[in-house]
Amino acid sequence: MAHQLIINGETHEVDVADDTPLLWALRDTIGLTGTKYGCGKGLCGACTVHVGSTAVRSCQTTVASAAGKPVSTIESLRRRNPDLIAAWITHNVPQCGYCQSGQLMSAAALLSANPSPSDAEIDAAMSGNICRCGTYPRIRAAIKEVAAGGMS
Amino acid sequence: MSKISNVSRRDFLKGSGAFVLGAMVPMAATAGPGNLFPSPATDAFSPNLYLSIANDGLVTVTSHRSEMGQGIRTAIAQIVADELNADWSRVQVGQAPGDKAYGDQNTDGSQSIRLFYDILRNAGATARMMLLEAGAKHLGAPVEECFVENHQVLHINSDNRADFGELAAIAASMPVPRNVAFKNADQHRYIGKPMSHVDIDDILDGKGTYGADVRRPHMVYAVIKHPPVLGAQATTMADVSPQPGFIGIEVLEQPAGAPLFNPVGGIAVIANDTHTAMRIADGLNVEWSASENDKFDSTALSQAMRNAVNKPGDAVFDQGKIDRALSRKGKFVEAVYETPFLSHAPMEPPCAVAEIVDGHCHVWGPLQNPQGTRSDVARWLKVDESKVTVDTTLLGGAFGRKSKPDFAIEAVELARRLERPVKVIWTREDDIQHDYYHAASAQYHKAKLGRNGLPEAWLQRTAFPSISTTFAAEALKPAEFELEMGFTNIPYRVRHQRFEATGVKPGVRIGWMRSVCNIFHSFSCNVFVDEMATAARRNPIDYRLALLGKSKHRFKVPGLQPPEGHEMDIARIRNVIERVRDLSTFDKARPDGHGLGFAVHHSFRSYVATVIEASVEDGNVKVHNAWVSLDCGTYINPDTCRAQMEGAVVFGLSLAQMGEITMTDGRVNQSNFHDYPVLRMPECPDIEVDLVASTALPAGVGEPGVPPVAPALINAIYAASGNRIRSLPIKSVV
Repeated sequence: MAHQLIINGETHEVDVADDTPLLWALRDTIGLTGTKYGCGKGLCGACTVHVGSTAVRSCQTTVASAAGKPVSTIESLRRRNPDLIAAWITHNVPQCGYCQSGQLMSAAALLSANPSPSDAEIDAAMSGNICRCGTYPRIRAAIKEVAAGGMS
Repeated sequence: MSKISNVSRRDFLKGSGAFVLGAMVPMAATAGPGNLFPSPATDAFSPNLYLSIANDGLVTVTSHRSEMGQGIRTAIAQIVADELNADWSRVQVGQAPGDKAYGDQNTDGSQSIRLFYDILRNAGATARMMLLEAGAKHLGAPVEECFVENHQVLHINSDNRADFGELAAIAASMPVPRNVAFKNADQHRYIGKPMSHVDIDDILDGKGTYGADVRRPHMVYAVIKHPPVLGAQATTMADVSPQPGFIGIEVLEQPAGAPLFNPVGGIAVIANDTHTAMRIADGLNVEWSASENDKFDSTALSQAMRNAVNKPGDAVFDQGKIDRALSRKGKFVEAVYETPFLSHAPMEPPCAVAEIVDGHCHVWGPLQNPQGTRSDVARWLKVDESKVTVDTTLLGGAFGRKSKPDFAIEAVELARRLERPVKVIWTREDDIQHDYYHAASAQYHKAKLGRNGLPEAWLQRTAFPSISTTFAAEALKPAEFELEMGFTNIPYRVRHQRFEATGVKPGVRIGWMRSVCNIFHSFSCNVFVDEMATAARRNPIDYRLALLGKSKHRFKVPGLQPPEGHEMDIARIRNVIERVRDLSTFDKARPDGHGLGFAVHHSFRSYVATVIEASVEDGNVKVHNAWVSLDCGTYINPDTCRAQMEGAVVFGLSLAQMGEITMTDGRVNQSNFHDYPVLRMPECPDIEVDLVASTALPAGVGEPGVPPVAPALINAIYAASGNRIRSLPIKSVV
């Protein structure tokens, strides 16, 4: 069935089953591969995107439920949140980089809802995103840098 | 249920009503992968395989090692660009296909820099000298009056200068110098400097191409229902009803004999998109044949290993009169340590794309060993290696899993049968349940302490299923290289000492995972030394330094010998111990309920000492801080070294606190991150890394940070709670 997906401001008609996860519509149908598959069960956060301003796991979000709503992915994050990307570069955060799109999307959603999160709030908001390489200390530092910059 | 047959066989197509091959493929899938990484310009000055310079001066450094987060693409470019005196902003990094011409491409063992530092320096320096000759000719000046700086050749007595771009064509005609001089360390601009990941912009924009991101025109997607027990084959399965996107199934069989890197067989579901393939594969109702591994049970294996280390094994080192020394009266310390099977669980599960056109097979994937994969694919297809191209993408984590290209061979076999490009995607469940597992193990240590509290006699035994079992069905004994990972090469020598090892037979594939056997050998040895220090009522770090002694710096180990120039150096072990003691202010009092634990380990030719601060509350362990001192000899990128130590702490805490794979009736009980958890941000301590400046030969960075983490944590828990844990993972602290 045809669904209208609004991804990073662009409208895409996708003809897939209603229960197709947004993740696979993005990757296989639309060809936006920055959003990653990591577990398929909403356990690892690698597939995190925004629907509206909320971070969601695109492996657990159906195309039908996302249709017609503004969806943003990693491909548009630098445009929308250059400070966050800059902080990730300053702290040279990525190792393998595979989970980083999900990490960034979770961090962006956190900071848009709470521009100066405490350490505990950062940990809580990021706890759904696994990084097997172990970049957590740098992710924390990068988020704090943006948060501090936002307050000044 | 019906007998199963392949979509590539015509009878199945007729009978099943499955969608016919060549069905509509989504538009996006025809877009093609583009260039995965920059390619060297064809009109370029290419003095060697690792570098070329285009006529506009753009330098392409070719990384022949695989990038999995350890920063090798950046480090290789730093080395070549530094010796070349190139302008970093005009350097791009390509990626070599698997080809013996590049030398070793097996990206494991933390040895990329150790093996290639001089070769890469030579590549850059050779080109620099040829450009210098070309520049002198171009500027009409004697070579002695010219020098190379920042992408230019300059004349010392004038403003005359020429850019690498202008000189590329001339340099190409210059003779290749026989002897090249490397720059001195104080002249380095990139080597030894913290530099950003060369792929960081692509990664942060979601444009980095991982194996999972490769797309080819007319490509189809395959998800494979693998046999639940190693060695089982699919016998019958229920029909899959025709449905949109479904193309058909293919039955894969595991070749007889040792597992090697062969696919394990199973039912491949072919579809026009990943989701359809995953959904159908998940619902497949398959019956499997019996396997010799049907009764394999990890609990029974643990018992067998406990039994093995409680009796004599094969002695691999024996000095003094250990039996007599241990039979006399005195103060003894004795303990058995146990560790479980582990899965690598890289964030990107195994995946690969294969395509065969006019008899030439092209593979793209997150491969740690593209050269080995090329050979394996050629063997599989029974063609010459010249008929196979293997391109390495970015690896979304690997940790050793992606040196075993079973998943790439699956893609090749399906591409061969379907005569179109195929992407094989493993689900997380496939990844956790069909890994080449890090071996479970047991160790036994017994020591008799002398009057000074130091051991006079020390017996250590180890038992584990060897990696050799993956390559030879009849193999059982631990291999020398496994024992040289923290067992035969412990840095302590006492008067009466014996090392014994025993192999056990696994019912799963055994592989190497980040730091391999060092994980359990470092764990047991470091905890045992802590137990001896406790028995001797000594501070664990003072005790360790006393135990190391002031002996000769080059320490001779039994069994497999280290490469020349990398003999174990006791002074360097002492140095990292003292540095991490000072960094962590080890002797300073901590809050009530907090404890500090220490461990040190030499692996992959590097030296790492780690201190962990932990507390125990209501049986729950909280890790607050980790301090790491690393001596990896000459390093290329200090920021990468620090990042690898940070990552090693996280990896080590994951395995110490929560990592465990178990098998019942030959089947793996865990399946995803809910029952095979790894560390998450709230559990991550603050980590401080100290990097030793050194002119020693370059050594490993990716792996050696892992081995000290688990024992440092166990020792911290003891210091905090008095509870001595001897088995991983930590289940509860009473």
